[in-house]
Amino acid sequence: MSAPILSLERLGVGLPSHGSGRPVTVLEQLDLTVQPGEMTALVGESGSGKTIAALAAMRLLPPGGTTEGVVRFDGIDLLAQDERRMRALRGRIGMVFQNPLSALNPTRTIGAQVADGHRLHAGGSAAQARVRAIDLLGEVGIPNPARRLDDYPHQFSGGQRQRVMIAAALACDPKLLIADEPTTGLDPLVARQILALLAGLRRSHGLGVLFITHDLSIVADHADRLTVLYAGRAVEWGAARRFFAAPRHPYSQALLGAVPRLGQASLHGIPGLLPDPARRPPGCRFAPRCAYAQAPCEVAYPPPVGDAGEAAACLYPQPAPLLEAGHAAAAFEAGGTAPLLALEHVTVRYGDAAPSLSEVSLELRRGECLGIVGESGSGKSTLGRAILQMLPYQGRILLDGQDLAALPREALRRARRRIQPVFQDPRESLNPRLRVRETLAEPLRLVGMRDKDRLAREVASLLAKVGLDPSLADRFPGQISGGQAQRVAVARALATRPDIIVLDEPTSALDVSTQATLLTLLRDLARSERLATLFISHDIAAVSWLADRIAVLRQGEIVEMADTMRMIAQPNHPYAAALIDTAPRIARR
Amino acid sequence: MLRLVRRRLGSAALSLLLLTTIAFVLSHLTPGGPAYSILGPGAKPDAVAAINHEFGLDLPLWRQYLRWLWALAHLHLGSSYLSNQPVGTLLVSYEKNTILLQLVSLTASLAIALGLGMIHGVYHARGAGRIIGAIELGLYALPSFFVGTLLILWLSMGLGWFPAGGLEDLRLDHQTFGAALSHLALPATTITLLTVPVLSRYFAQSVHEELGRDYVRSAAARGASPLRILFGDVLRNALRPLVTILGLSLPTIFAGGIVTETVFSYPGLGWLLWQSAIGQDYPVLIGIVLVIGVLTVLGNLLADLVNGLLDPRVSYA
Repeated sequence: MSAPILSLERLGVGLPSHGSGRPVTVLEQLDLTVQPGEMTALVGESGSGKTIAALAAMRLLPPGGTTEGVVRFDGIDLLAQDERRMRALRGRIGMVFQNPLSALNPTRTIGAQVADGHRLHAGGSAAQARVRAIDLLGEVGIPNPARRLDDYPHQFSGGQRQRVMIAAALACDPKLLIADEPTTGLDPLVARQILALLAGLRRSHGLGVLFITHDLSIVADHADRLTVLYAGRAVEWGAARRFFAAPRHPYSQALLGAVPRLGQASLHGIPGLLPDPARRPPGCRFAPRCAYAQAPCEVAYPPPVGDAGEAAACLYPQPAPLLEAGHAAAAFEAGGTAPLLALEHVTVRYGDAAPSLSEVSLELRRGECLGIVGESGSGKSTLGRAILQMLPYQGRILLDGQDLAALPREALRRARRRIQPVFQDPRESLNPRLRVRETLAEPLRLVGMRDKDRLAREVASLLAKVGLDPSLADRFPGQISGGQAQRVAVARALATRPDIIVLDEPTSALDVSTQATLLTLLRDLARSERLATLFISHDIAAVSWLADRIAVLRQGEIVEMADTMRMIAQPNHPYAAALIDTAPRIARR
Repeated sequence: MLRLVRRRLGSAALSLLLLTTIAFVLSHLTPGGPAYSILGPGAKPDAVAAINHEFGLDLPLWRQYLRWLWALAHLHLGSSYLSNQPVGTLLVSYEKNTILLQLVSLTASLAIALGLGMIHGVYHARGAGRIIGAIELGLYALPSFFVGTLLILWLSMGLGWFPAGGLEDLRLDHQTFGAALSHLALPATTITLLTVPVLSRYFAQSVHEELGRDYVRSAAARGASPLRILFGDVLRNALRPLVTILGLSLPTIFAGGIVTETVFSYPGLGWLLWQSAIGQDYPVLIGIVLVIGVLTVLGNLLADLVNGLLDPRVSYA
């Protein structure tokens, strides 16, 4: 084995805390290596310390951050360099961040930003840097690079922006590329292309790649080695192939199990919450949430079991569980009954542009879940908004056979209470200045509930319905976790006892483990409350797990609509097939 | 861009009409009248009536307004009741003094505020930033008549460096350059001292916010030095809110600091406004209001256009 291009040895990071001023340890004892021409994945949920590890290696921690251990890049100890030397070294390590729109300067042309790296490190003239920028943009797959050089970031699509970011990183001639969640927020098809691009560069440039992600399934095909982080410490690490064949740490297994896969029968979230960095348990950090934990787990951090190739820090490593196959769709009353909701030739147009939604017709029955999948810009959110009567449309939307657009104002208001939304980001959709109690009481007051005791009882029962402790009623949205906030949003939607719930990307702002729990909750609720649900998402695996039928939307049109099992087994439309192809599947053993 | 200009000017015409109506009605509602300003408080009723008849002030208010509008349509703003000069000529000669004063003050304010604000923004929560912040807040709290009076007492009456006022015309063929400069020094210093904290605080906030953005981290990860990031990436983005503030304060700039100009008896538009308000010189008063209104519209338009130059995402559709 050749010398690693990057090795982290017992890396630890402390950050100043907001309140007490005492530094909080967010990362401990991280060992990790990246070989030239290989991809190492650093996997963990938000709060695991994975991004902090990368920033610490680059010496880009926020002010007040402290490090210990060794970061060796190409034989040089980065933590021992002065800031001047470090600046020269930073270009040798390229970095690509999540959300390329904000990672690029909005008021500078992409050409200038790509050329920056070349000018800083190769010291060439402006003209040379420009030529190099054109080459690089072409290499990362921007069509017509010479013509697009003087365009600004907002003139590119999300995937193209990420390609520009990669080109800017390559401009410094790096030996190592650190990619921090580069595919998060991108459509699955685009995310796969970006990953393939990185994997290709790794080979053609002999680059070492450190790929940081929360999603184990995305790196399964490309990673050579990986490290799974939980609450600031590595729980399992080693060769990727051996890891994916037989993950041993219960957290690794839970993380893998929480990702929805096509054809999966059950989905298991991870109960409980990530421990607060200031109050982490002394032993195994995962023990409080672990199904296999025993008393010794809580004494000291478990020593690794395994060999140099693959190891897990666990006292009771588990054999990999088999994921059950099969589809457990809700038993809704099919056939015979009249549709609860019907769309007839619904078209939505903004200005003179091509219609965002064109001639969409579909039906939704009581208790049924219809999945709407498609990439950004396909019109899937527009469809949800039209059903919620939040924008003007042509065509008819019928609730119980009544045309909503034809209803008088008061009747329409009553009808709208029967269709409730849950949006993507609970932090945005909950009023940050209202306590959870008030957020839930508001819709109840709207339907005429005034009595204080009754309101309190009803709020408590709504919280119980979504599996939250009633004590949360006194908190503000900022004081609860993202998963809990989304449950509050679901409870708010349930408050007016609706018949239909429109879920617009309800899980995409959540961590993997929380996603699974929320999806399970939504399915249970849909069954117990006999709710019809419209589940809008770009995640076809999640949709296939929840939905009875799936409609694939592309450029405002439904290209295919079929029962879930039929759709994932044999899609007819090539676009539907391509989408389904991007989704993780359960391994056939 | 032309579309934006055309649309803005269309809606501006309506606002200006409304503005002059309000100014017209309010100024005519004040008790007394220009006749008393001209003749003195003990004027005889028939003399007052004669003057009111001469100026058309005995007509119903709506007819007076229509007459004023009709004249405006022919680009006549009327003549001053007090000095008998055409309002247009008066406005131009006083406005020139104001513009000179404000240009000098604004240039000085911007130069100081950009530097101070940049340091304040970079060292936001640290020693240097806190000290600058405290100075800014202190200056911000000072009223202009106080600063002006203090400067007169100290630099003019105490040390005798600068004249305290008494300027008639700043045009260089009437003044030596040195004399003009010495007359400008005190009022310009006053205005600068009061403008710097406003601009500087806005700019500091803006620099601080921009420094926290992801693209700054990207540039640092490329190995760019802090100065390069500050001037190559951050500056342009941080200027945008400042341009908006400047555009909004353009009317004040052209109307002149009323208080400052009065304290220094500086013959600018602010001083003229004060004099005509006391003397109930309606044509001049409404003329000034109209000028300020027009400048407000132009200021906002200018700010939007400059922001469009700074930010490629702004479209004028």
